[in-house]
Amino acid sequence: MNAIEIRGLTKQFGSKQALAGLDMTVPQGAIYGFIGENGSGKSTTEKLICGLLVPSGGRIKLFGRDYTDADVRAKVGLLIESPGCFPNYSVWNNMLLQAANLGIKNAAEEVRKVLRIVRMEGSASNKFKNCSLGMKQRIGIAMALLGDPALLILDEPLNGLDADGMRIMREVLVDITRQYGCTVLISSHILGELEKIATHYGIIRQGRMMCEMTAEELDRSCPTYIALRGADMAGMERLLSMRYRRVEEENGDLRVYDAVAPEEVTAYLYGQGMLPAELTTAKIGLEEYYIGLMGGEVKR
Amino acid sequence: MEKTKSIQFESPSFARRIGGMLGVDFYRLFHTPMFYIFLVIAALIPALVSMGSFSGEGQVAGNAWNIIASNAPLYVVNDIGEYANMNMVFIFGGIMVSVFIGHDYRSGYVKQLFTTHPKKQDYMISKSLVCAFAMACMCVTYLIGGVASGIFTGASFEVNVGGLVCAIIGKMIMSLGWASLYTFLNIIFRRYFGISVASSFFFGTGILIIGAAAIVGNSPVLNIFLYGASVYACLSSNFVTILVCLACSLAWAVIYNLLGTLILNKCDVY
Repeated sequence: MNAIEIRGLTKQFGSKQALAGLDMTVPQGAIYGFIGENGSGKSTTEKLICGLLVPSGGRIKLFGRDYTDADVRAKVGLLIESPGCFPNYSVWNNMLLQAANLGIKNAAEEVRKVLRIVRMEGSASNKFKNCSLGMKQRIGIAMALLGDPALLILDEPLNGLDADGMRIMREVLVDITRQYGCTVLISSHILGELEKIATHYGIIRQGRMMCEMTAEELDRSCPTYIALRGADMAGMERLLSMRYRRVEEENGDLRVYDAVAPEEVTAYLYGQGMLPAELTTAKIGLEEYYIGLMGGEVKR
Repeated sequence: MEKTKSIQFESPSFARRIGGMLGVDFYRLFHTPMFYIFLVIAALIPALVSMGSFSGEGQVAGNAWNIIASNAPLYVVNDIGEYANMNMVFIFGGIMVSVFIGHDYRSGYVKQLFTTHPKKQDYMISKSLVCAFAMACMCVTYLIGGVASGIFTGASFEVNVGGLVCAIIGKMIMSLGWASLYTFLNIIFRRYFGISVASSFFFGTGILIIGAAAIVGNSPVLNIFLYGASVYACLSSNFVTILVCLACSLAWAVIYNLLGTLILNKCDVY
């Protein structure tokens, strides 16, 4: 069963078409990286799934049931933009209020458990308004985890986090899927971080899904290249271009995409009286794949 | 792919859903300074009104209970002083409801709430009940302030006690209708806090009914409207007045709750 199944979803804000027939399939248990440039329709899609917006057309199913069913929606935890907390209440009280709305019986115990998962148990008495951005994001995740959700929808949870905050958030998300079997839909512009956790990807552009793929499919789609550096980069590029079809300069490196092995490139350059100072084999990442897919133009 | 969980969908009863929501809303009401500020404002209104009405040079202090209600139902404005009674609680109550509901949207609480069990109608019902309770509390502090200001200005306390009690109960019952109207207005203007406050003030003053009354006269037909029924609860009230207020308050509460639910279901929430 799919956690999310969307077919032909449209959303119109006045004259602006935010979604233009979006199709999306998120398998149960996946960490689904939802990628797209600003204004492509990511947040609109997430709000529609959560029932915060009303679609203009199309169909949304969550776990095989209609998304308007309040009992299904109660199985959705969300963090969209920022956590919906009252700034003057403590973290603990905000969590208890959400637990009361969810009808959780052992509220205090449950709140303690989710705060432990996001490593916030020591900050429960802090007023929400006094928490740092990273803490607020983690509180948002904790709130989303209340009530044993089957699906988490996280909109840009990595925004504004420092390196340590990102690492904690990453570990928390992986723990959630491993221990609780939660499906996670996560949108982020920080593709390097997303790549470390996502099992599935969906790339949206102008309100339409451009492609959906698994992490394995992405891996197969991302070409390997040989990166070279040397004293005479221009000369090296000229020589390599004579033998290989795709040679590009990127971040001060020369990249050869269609070479079979590094030894082959080294032998060829040696034969031409030139040796690279540095030579490494690498694979393009999600970010480069995405930029390539967008035709090199990405608004973020 | 990680392990997948088997999902059990719960369908809590209406009582459990509304119980949770009311618990949250009452907690918020009692833990927000705004509620206590409005209780104090409600207590101060009669003092300010009685100062203006009774303490002018050459004026004789009137009946203290006219601060609570007029002697007879009045719809057409002849003397604004006769309107300045407990009905003013409903005007200030409207502003309080706007602040209370507006905070739900500004904090993002609603987006968290609508991914839990409560349905849209539960939201309307819970807000209407909690705000009605808050306005009824304001009626009580208004009563206390009215009595205190009457003593202070040396006003007469002569009254038909039965009529007075019926008037006070009638006005407190009207809190539910008014709270439902304000909740509905705040749902319509949920993205515009300023307009919510302004519309609450506009409808709270009963300008439309007063305008209609100026055309049709002091007609009992106007009792079917919130302001009409609120004005109908006067010092000459009896048990029928309470029934009229109850019927009117409940009818409008149902209508506004249904309309509010419809808007929440058909329009974008956040």
